[in-house]
Amino acid sequence: MAAIRFQSTEAKAAKEEYDVVIVGGGIAGSALACALASNKASSTLKIALIEAFDLSNHIKWSPRPDQYSNRVSSLTPKSVAFLKKIGVWSELDQSRVAACEGMQVWDGVSGARITFDAANVDGVQSSFLQQVFSGTVPAPPGVNSTTNQGPQDRTYMFNTDCRSSLLTIKLDIFEKTKVQGITVEQGESAQEPQADWPTLQLDNGKTLVTRLLIGADGVNSPVRSFAKIESLGWDYSQFGLVATLQIDPSTSTAPGQGKGIAWQRFLPTGPVAMLPLNNGYASLVWSTTPKIAQDLKKLPARDFCALVNAAFSASSAELEYLYKNIGPDGQPLVDFQKEIEWRTSVHDMEASKTMVRGSSSQGDAKPPKVVDVQENTRAPFPLRMRNSSSYVEDRVVLVGDAAHTVHPLAGQGLNQGLADVECLTRVIEQSLLSGSDIGNIHSLTPYSSERFLPNLAMLGTVDKLSKLYNTDFGPVVWARSLGLTAVDKMGPIKNEIMRFAMGLEEPSNRS
Amino acid sequence: MSARILTRANPSVLKQYLSRAGSSPTFTRSTRAAVPCASIFTLRSPLKPPTGKLYEGHIPISPLQRTILAVGSAFTALANPLRGDMVAALGETTSGIFLNRIRDQMLQDPEGRRILRERPVITSETMQLDTLRQLPDGTFGREYVRFLDDQQVSPDTREPVHFVDSEELAYVMQRYRETHDFYHTLTGLPVTVDGEIALKWFEMAQTGLPMTMLSSFFGPLRLSSEERERLFNVYVPWALENGSTSKLLMNVRWEEWMEKPVEEVQRELGVQPCPQV
Repeated sequence: MAAIRFQSTEAKAAKEEYDVVIVGGGIAGSALACALASNKASSTLKIALIEAFDLSNHIKWSPRPDQYSNRVSSLTPKSVAFLKKIGVWSELDQSRVAACEGMQVWDGVSGARITFDAANVDGVQSSFLQQVFSGTVPAPPGVNSTTNQGPQDRTYMFNTDCRSSLLTIKLDIFEKTKVQGITVEQGESAQEPQADWPTLQLDNGKTLVTRLLIGADGVNSPVRSFAKIESLGWDYSQFGLVATLQIDPSTSTAPGQGKGIAWQRFLPTGPVAMLPLNNGYASLVWSTTPKIAQDLKKLPARDFCALVNAAFSASSAELEYLYKNIGPDGQPLVDFQKEIEWRTSVHDMEASKTMVRGSSSQGDAKPPKVVDVQENTRAPFPLRMRNSSSYVEDRVVLVGDAAHTVHPLAGQGLNQGLADVECLTRVIEQSLLSGSDIGNIHSLTPYSSERFLPNLAMLGTVDKLSKLYNTDFGPVVWARSLGLTAVDKMGPIKNEIMRFAMGLEEPSNRS
Repeated sequence: MSARILTRANPSVLKQYLSRAGSSPTFTRSTRAAVPCASIFTLRSPLKPPTGKLYEGHIPISPLQRTILAVGSAFTALANPLRGDMVAALGETTSGIFLNRIRDQMLQDPEGRRILRERPVITSETMQLDTLRQLPDGTFGREYVRFLDDQQVSPDTREPVHFVDSEELAYVMQRYRETHDFYHTLTGLPVTVDGEIALKWFEMAQTGLPMTMLSSFFGPLRLSSEERERLFNVYVPWALENGSTSKLLMNVRWEEWMEKPVEEVQRELGVQPCPQV
């Protein structure tokens, strides 16, 4: 989709005028549509939402008890508060929402551990994170708002309040529609009214022209290329693998059988994380080398589960051996179960004979064992870090992954996107109330100034963390383990870190 | 004149001191020490032993005791290299990363894993020395027994492992010592100070760890200039070349190679006999 700039003034085929066009119906785009619809000032705007995939399946979705998608959204309390405010939260199927009350994070080389407990964060009534997840298969029609995509693997959210008030606000949804081109006029003809408004050509033949174009179209955002905004950053030489796991909670040694506890272990190849869902299910996010990620996808289910269990307990040398013994077609060349059982029995025997004197009355908690992985839920995706050089341009603004992409190790990507949406809604509201043109770049700069620095800070922090833990070089391991163990014992500092991750620490917290 | 640098069981005052110093208060269970490498990197008190008794012969010592023992045994071994127990103590107190690395390398190899799983022990019984003496000349087993008889030692005279805080790593250390005689038979290095040092260089080239050099830093100081010349001009280059290209010797199930001719063993393992000077 190249950005073509013409010098002509002839009108094209009948253009439909909009105040706001949102390209991209992912969580960020849909949430923005709902937010604008539910905000009094902006509910009179004429809004269009363009999405390339089919949304009807998702709108008519209802949960199947044994089917869980591999796309899980982890929402911080700040994001949850925002969703409550725009009326989406109440529409979610609560059987597909799981609270995460604590986290156990430890170093895969040295075993140094830090534990976070949401109950200990000052002034917070809510859980640490909420996981929102749902199923894959479309079912008979029923009104429901939490939807999950089907085979295309993305998650959408729609607000029935939003939809019912669609009659009052003008929200047009163009689903199964791609944007073929975006153009804008330049030069002298740009002085005429609406001449500098972006024009979108859709593949269904329609042409839209809009006062404000919002790019919520993901990491390879065409809107961003149209606006000639550079995206700076780098690719991690890692792929993330997601999967939906079935776990046995009785095998966890954490209090309460590990219910509501997220587990993350930093291996030298990348972090492996298990996030709790309901009913004995968990979501896996394993960042590792591209080759290992592809092999993991091909392994038979039984061996994959054994390897995931090993990832949370075995040494990196033991894991190396297992990685090396995956054949080109994904079949294991040795008996994974037997090898892992042998190594586990060696560790357990040492543990049973090891007595450590000290004040710590409990050993390190163990995550629950994985017993099965749901079919077709293993999916690798490349990891990268990107930040756009600017979030706003004349009549163009970027939100969510189109603006910035982050390593998934801290679960922050979506939450940053929702924070962007919240801020943008406010900024648009302000412009409307003060009577200015919402697409004018001066109306948009407050959004950029509010969001750019926090996003950059989060991206930078997560990037440094991923680099720090990507090595097994002795002195670095020693230093980071010392630091981690020290922070684990320092309550106030841990508190601050948690508040930062939960989105409660904002320089200008307006809501 | 060759000096014997074999580790021998020798009662020592130091051992008695240590067994007096160790105490046994009440403990609580913890799984932390079972994680590989954890004890090196996590915070713990310098005055308390991190584990209880893990295996026969294990003497748990605190980090402070460990430091004292390491320094003391280093000086004693330097003054009198024949004190095998001091050399052993020095090796064990400083061995943490070294043993971990060797064990991890063994875990990458199917033969190494078999050894770790089955934990074969080398004694005069398990080796059946009398049977080996019946083997034809030139076989690995026959040359091995000839070597033992010449030096008037037997596989039973090894100092047991005391100061390693992990059962599996203690086995690795024990295997490392037990197979030492096989290295001599394989490479043809003499049991002199410079021969031992050359063997240490060979091991360093194999494992990639400079820890093997620790005990041989002091050795060259006691050599005559002629011996030192031979060491660095002949043995060390040979050791570096062969060590880096040969199969990892800790992964070799020596017990199964006894009837093969020495040349075949050398060929299969990728080792050329050392130059005879």
